Amino acid sequence: MSLFIERLVNGLADGSIYALLALALVVVFRSTGQLNFAQGEIGTLGAFVVSTLTLSGLPVWLSILLAMFVGFVISAGVERVVVRPIEHRNPGAVIVALIGVFLAVNQLVAMFWGVDARGLPNVFPDQADDFVTILGAPVRIARLGVIGVLIVVLLLLWLMFNKTKIGLAMRAVANNQESSNLVGIRVGTILVVGWGLAGAIGVLAAALLAPSAGLTGTLMLGPFLLASVAAVLGGLDSPVGAVVGGLIIGLTEAFMVGYVDFLGADMLFPVMLVILLVVLLLRPSGLFGSERVERV
Amino acid sequence: MSGDALLAVTGLTAGYGPVEVLHGLDFTVGEGEIVVILGANGAGKTTTMRAVSGMIPRHGTVEFGGVDISGAKPDAIVRAGVSQVPQGRGTFTDLTVEDNLECGGYTVKGSIAEDLERWYGVFPRLAERRDQKAGSLSGGEQQMLAVARAMMSRPKLLLCDEPSLGLAPLITKELFKVLGNLRDEHGMSLLIVEQNAGMSLALADRAYVLETGSIVATGTGDELLADDTIKEAYLGVVN
Repeated sequence: MSLFIERLVNGLADGSIYALLALALVVVFRSTGQLNFAQGEIGTLGAFVVSTLTLSGLPVWLSILLAMFVGFVISAGVERVVVRPIEHRNPGAVIVALIGVFLAVNQLVAMFWGVDARGLPNVFPDQADDFVTILGAPVRIARLGVIGVLIVVLLLLWLMFNKTKIGLAMRAVANNQESSNLVGIRVGTILVVGWGLAGAIGVLAAALLAPSAGLTGTLMLGPFLLASVAAVLGGLDSPVGAVVGGLIIGLTEAFMVGYVDFLGADMLFPVMLVILLVVLLLRPSGLFGSERVERV
Repeated sequence: MSGDALLAVTGLTAGYGPVEVLHGLDFTVGEGEIVVILGANGAGKTTTMRAVSGMIPRHGTVEFGGVDISGAKPDAIVRAGVSQVPQGRGTFTDLTVEDNLECGGYTVKGSIAEDLERWYGVFPRLAERRDQKAGSLSGGEQQMLAVARAMMSRPKLLLCDEPSLGLAPLITKELFKVLGNLRDEHGMSLLIVEQNAGMSLALADRAYVLETGSIVATGTGDELLADDTIKEAYLGVVN
């Protein structure tokens, strides 16, 4: 029982990171119809910014907020400078351009911060005795903190999308750009804000992952792939789906490695792809996706 | 008319890429007037609407309330007081009826609560369905929603792009009554592009006939309704 709870919390915590990243992918896909290949790398870059800022003496939480702002600006810039000009001329080429951005950011990180792994301080208490006991199981506070962050981000996003004017405009643009234009919404501005928001969320995910995973240039490679699977699994245009998909992957990872002896951690990708295949065969638009996506 | 016209368009050309669709249109809409531009498929009706509302590059002069809006972006044109009901309604299908109306009031500074109640009053069906997704409404209801949404920006001029498209005759009749009321009771001016000649000319104060990007005839609604060539081309009446 105690081991089960530990694995459950670990699965939910890792799943929260995938969920955040998947959420970022979905925010972009809903508005622009593009899978942002550079999403993970912008997160990695942000985590290195956190590292630099904390080394210069800033508190971790403040460093993360500042790095999220950097992620916002970079991601917004990618939309404005790379995606939009190309999309007007050749929509199909955008995906190639985004792979280019992925490589460019990846190289940039190596140039500025080197290729050696470094540690990143945790924003939550993470000493050996920083745990609470839940139903007899020792649970690390840092792990609960990650789950808490996901809940707070979801709450803030929900408030923004449903209670603010810019959130309404973002939903309108995701649904019908032409009509958004006609009611006086500046669609370009909304797209930039959406991409920026996704960039900031991606940095947050990376900054939460790096303390336990170790900060290297390839920090977000695996998580990005898993988050893509999570987003497709949940439905590429559904924020709820992204979160559910992310948590499913985190839990699968934790329980598979924990309980199924012959499936090690290396088997996670194949197993996830099988799950994805089955879901897509039964529900082509994902668990929570709307059918509209199929026509894209 | 053109001296005190609310909307004065002169020498309007527009198109898509190298293809010119409109070859220099001149037309006006006066204060409190309903003007219809009649045209068949491919005549350039939608292009005219998109050019006036700033959705596509255009040449020529578009003056609204005496102000040149030829180079203005769509959101600036909405703020100036021109609102469009797009062809095919263009409702936000994933959003609720109320969200759609709030989007319509996006450019309004301050509270839009009174506008909501006002248009719910005019369209009680929308009030009943305010929490439903727009995509679940019938075609007629979505057209009413598109009109109400356009009115939420408090426009002086309403552009309607083929409002009768895909609607049953009875629903179209109801819709045109609503459009007439917008002028009579809410002081609106309307520019409607249509191919339904019978109903739109009956409503129109003045009308223009658009053929392959040029205006070929103009007159009052009644004059054009009585014109034999119009009857033949748009009403299917063969002499």
